[in-house]
Amino acid sequence: MAAERWAPAGPRIPRNSLALLMVAQAAVVLPHVAQLSPWIIAVCLFCGYWRTRVYQGRWGYPSRLVRLGLVVAGTVGVVLSAGGSVNLELFIAMLVLAFAFKLVEMHTRRDAVLVIMLSYFIIATEFLFEQALFIAVYELVATILVTAAMVGLNQMHSQVRPFASIRLATGLVAQALPLAVVLFLFFPRLLPLWSMPLPGSARTGLTDAMTPGDVAELGRSDALAFRVEFDGVVPDYREMYWRALVYSDFRQGTWRTRQEIPEEPQLLRSGDRDVGYEVLLEPTAQQWLVSLDVPFRKDPRTMLTSDFRLRSETPVLSVLRYRAVSGLEQTRGLELSEAMRQRETTLPVGDNPRMVAYARELLARTRSVEAFADALLSHIREQPYTYTLSPGELPKLNSVDAFWFDTRRGFCAHYAGAFTYAMRAAGIPARLVGGYLGGERNPLTGHWMVRQYDAHGWSEVWIADRGWVRFDPTAAVAPERIEQGPSEALRGEERAGLSLFSAARFNAGSLFGRLLLVMDSLEHRWNMFVVGYDQETQRSYLANLLGDLRPGRIALLMVGAGGVCFGLVAFVLFFRHRPAPQHPGVRLIDRFSRAGARAGWPRTPHESPQAYVRRLGGSTSLAPALVSTLAGDVEMLLYGGGEGDRALLRRVATGLRRLRLRLVLGGAT
Amino acid sequence: MASSVLANRFGAFLDRRIPPSPSITLSQNNIFIFPTKVGFGFAGLLMLMLLVAINYQSSLIYGIAFTLGSMFLITILYTFRNLAGLRIEFQSAQAGFVGEDVAFTVRLVRPRGAPREGIQLGWPGNLPQWAEVYSQEADAVRLYVRAQRRGWLNPGRLLVETFFPLGLLRAWTWVDLSASALVYPSPVFQDAPVALAGQREEGALVDPRGSEDFTDIRAYAPGDPVKHVLWRSYARSGGGSLMVKRYASYVEPRLVLSLEDVEGDIEERLSRLTGLVLTAAREGREFGLVLPGVDIAAGTGDTHLEAALRALALYGR
Repeated sequence: MAAERWAPAGPRIPRNSLALLMVAQAAVVLPHVAQLSPWIIAVCLFCGYWRTRVYQGRWGYPSRLVRLGLVVAGTVGVVLSAGGSVNLELFIAMLVLAFAFKLVEMHTRRDAVLVIMLSYFIIATEFLFEQALFIAVYELVATILVTAAMVGLNQMHSQVRPFASIRLATGLVAQALPLAVVLFLFFPRLLPLWSMPLPGSARTGLTDAMTPGDVAELGRSDALAFRVEFDGVVPDYREMYWRALVYSDFRQGTWRTRQEIPEEPQLLRSGDRDVGYEVLLEPTAQQWLVSLDVPFRKDPRTMLTSDFRLRSETPVLSVLRYRAVSGLEQTRGLELSEAMRQRETTLPVGDNPRMVAYARELLARTRSVEAFADALLSHIREQPYTYTLSPGELPKLNSVDAFWFDTRRGFCAHYAGAFTYAMRAAGIPARLVGGYLGGERNPLTGHWMVRQYDAHGWSEVWIADRGWVRFDPTAAVAPERIEQGPSEALRGEERAGLSLFSAARFNAGSLFGRLLLVMDSLEHRWNMFVVGYDQETQRSYLANLLGDLRPGRIALLMVGAGGVCFGLVAFVLFFRHRPAPQHPGVRLIDRFSRAGARAGWPRTPHESPQAYVRRLGGSTSLAPALVSTLAGDVEMLLYGGGEGDRALLRRVATGLRRLRLRLVLGGAT
Repeated sequence: MASSVLANRFGAFLDRRIPPSPSITLSQNNIFIFPTKVGFGFAGLLMLMLLVAINYQSSLIYGIAFTLGSMFLITILYTFRNLAGLRIEFQSAQAGFVGEDVAFTVRLVRPRGAPREGIQLGWPGNLPQWAEVYSQEADAVRLYVRAQRRGWLNPGRLLVETFFPLGLLRAWTWVDLSASALVYPSPVFQDAPVALAGQREEGALVDPRGSEDFTDIRAYAPGDPVKHVLWRSYARSGGGSLMVKRYASYVEPRLVLSLEDVEGDIEERLSRLTGLVLTAAREGREFGLVLPGVDIAAGTGDTHLEAALRALALYGR
């Protein structure tokens, strides 16, 4: 019986809820560590320590002045460390700081409720940065912890039952999940209402500017760029040129993308080698999408640019799932507009004079574009050029000259950049294309994984009557790259470092290799069905399910399915009584008493189990000695500390069964 | 006033809906449920999450918002169940004096199934009391009400509410357990009134031991002390009837208290009388009480004291 009283004004947080809340807070902030400056993490740790001291009763709460000072200093610090840019990290940093300060000062239930709400929100924001399966599982656990803290606030004796809150919270979340799945599937997905601050931190991946060294940097990253599933025919590895960006502007040793020319892309369908596929692009915070060679059927959310690329309407912030069909023998851009010619032949004046002279001289000798290109490629093949991830720094000015004539060490972007430069120097429209080449197949699911180290750069040259034609100068220096992938093209240490996590490195029998593949398959399914479930996927899923997309039907289905889930929970809660774990002997006797009552021999309230057995046994034809033994056993089992005695339990069970049989058969008189 | 009209109407509604009874089983007929402020805040938070999910096109944020939203819906069942099926019984009330906290004992009996936690019980105007029926089938809760005036104390409808499990929803009911407790006037202790002191003086028989006086002789009745039998007259009469001598022993004068014995207005007089009654009872003296319409013959003992206090409590009520 609780006789303590609660004052409604400023009620304190129950201690057990407070402990849970502190654990939950730590759990909630932990995955954000990647986005936070070290000093914020230090502040969080200190606040956590402070609160622990308060919890132990050693330190006091901060005074008003200290609190004000902390808030001002924190805000200034966050704004300063953001360096004037308003991005998502700034908001997260603010949120986490507020959270940490609140941790120290909270002591009423109101504070605790506020912290709980903040916790839920911070859990949600983590998904802006990470969507991996294990992060989702982690955040589900964090949600349970936060919920447990909330349960603790409304429990009285929870101090005595430390895990009851967690158990209850787990039940709550688990029972909410089916209903959540229904909402997830059927709740209408809307397009963005307004634009939000984007993550400021650069993600590994291709960007609008490409300095040849950058791609070499990408080459060291094994982060996933995208997964792809082919509908049927899988193109050759040599043909898997995933186009992402077109660089048309060369300045100061860097290739950049240009404003798009508003032109209808000219496509001429010729080949019948069409390839259909579905891409699950990892978040890039940019708008480019990858597509094979020449895509021509577009997803409604994707746009086809005049240089035959797919583009998303909004920056890709979470895994984007889209379908595309590409023609692998496709002629494009037979007509070259003046604006386009202008764009694709411009070079900075006075840069790389040796290359310009070399190209003009070579063109004069070779005359045709094809022959000119061949001559350049044979030059690469015949001269001592090296394919390497660490080509060394090139100067900003005359960088192409320095590479082509002096260092002769480079990665794909160096070769493709120099090749494109030479073309333009000779007055031939050419551009540098950035994307990925190839990929790695997961034999379990059959999908392909393309990683950052598959990043690749190549050239496209416009030839009259043929349109834009792909040339890959890397093939001239490292044909293995084109045939088998980057790990085959590199040597020694570079190669070992590259393929550390590449599943290809592990033979099929290796346990670790298999585990990686299984995890990748899981992750792929997760992306396909959960992360990539957006408006478009939802629409096609519902169309499949319902036949049409009338809002009334969808609403009906949602309410119906949701009602079933809700009803199931109600059923479990109200009609399925889980009896408290009972002493097995008590269970036996209860069952026996019920059976006795059915046979017309109910047990009177005052009757002990032993007396009942004696009475019933006496009125049957059972031998009195047997009845006596059974009654003794019953007493021993129930009161004689015989709980653990299995033999005794069996004996009683058998005896009671025999007695019941006699009763039912009418042995009783 | 509008609010009092509203309150009356609400009272009438409650009386129809949940008629007074010393034992009430809670069910959907008498449990109300509504989101709390925290609940509305939580709903706002979910809206915010949904906005973030829409604007960042994040499936997983949709996912967490839907999970929390479903949890909110499911807590409706949990909060309701925490009260549903619970039987609330008025067990007993202790009498008390004005100015004291009077204890009402209320029993909570739960049906089979899950334990009931975080229930708050409170009479209007009093602090709520936390209760739970966790491992046992039933639990008794003592609820205190400050007694303001003498007579029958009816604490009104008992508020039974719960915010369990998440505090997002409040399920509550107002039950009238027809509970009442007797409140005695708050005692005022004083010296014995002059009139009573004088009476004591007049009684003249102050020493109980030396004051045994022979009064008369009468026929023996069973139970008379053998010591008092007049054996001589018995022998003389030749075995006739037994006679006994009777003695009287005046130990204390009998106190018969009445309103005239004390001063002040009526409530004050009742308070003073209460004080006198209590003093007399403590000293073990016989006392009687005479009030207009009430005449309690002199006596001692708890029942007698209670009857006197009851008469004082209910005088004029």
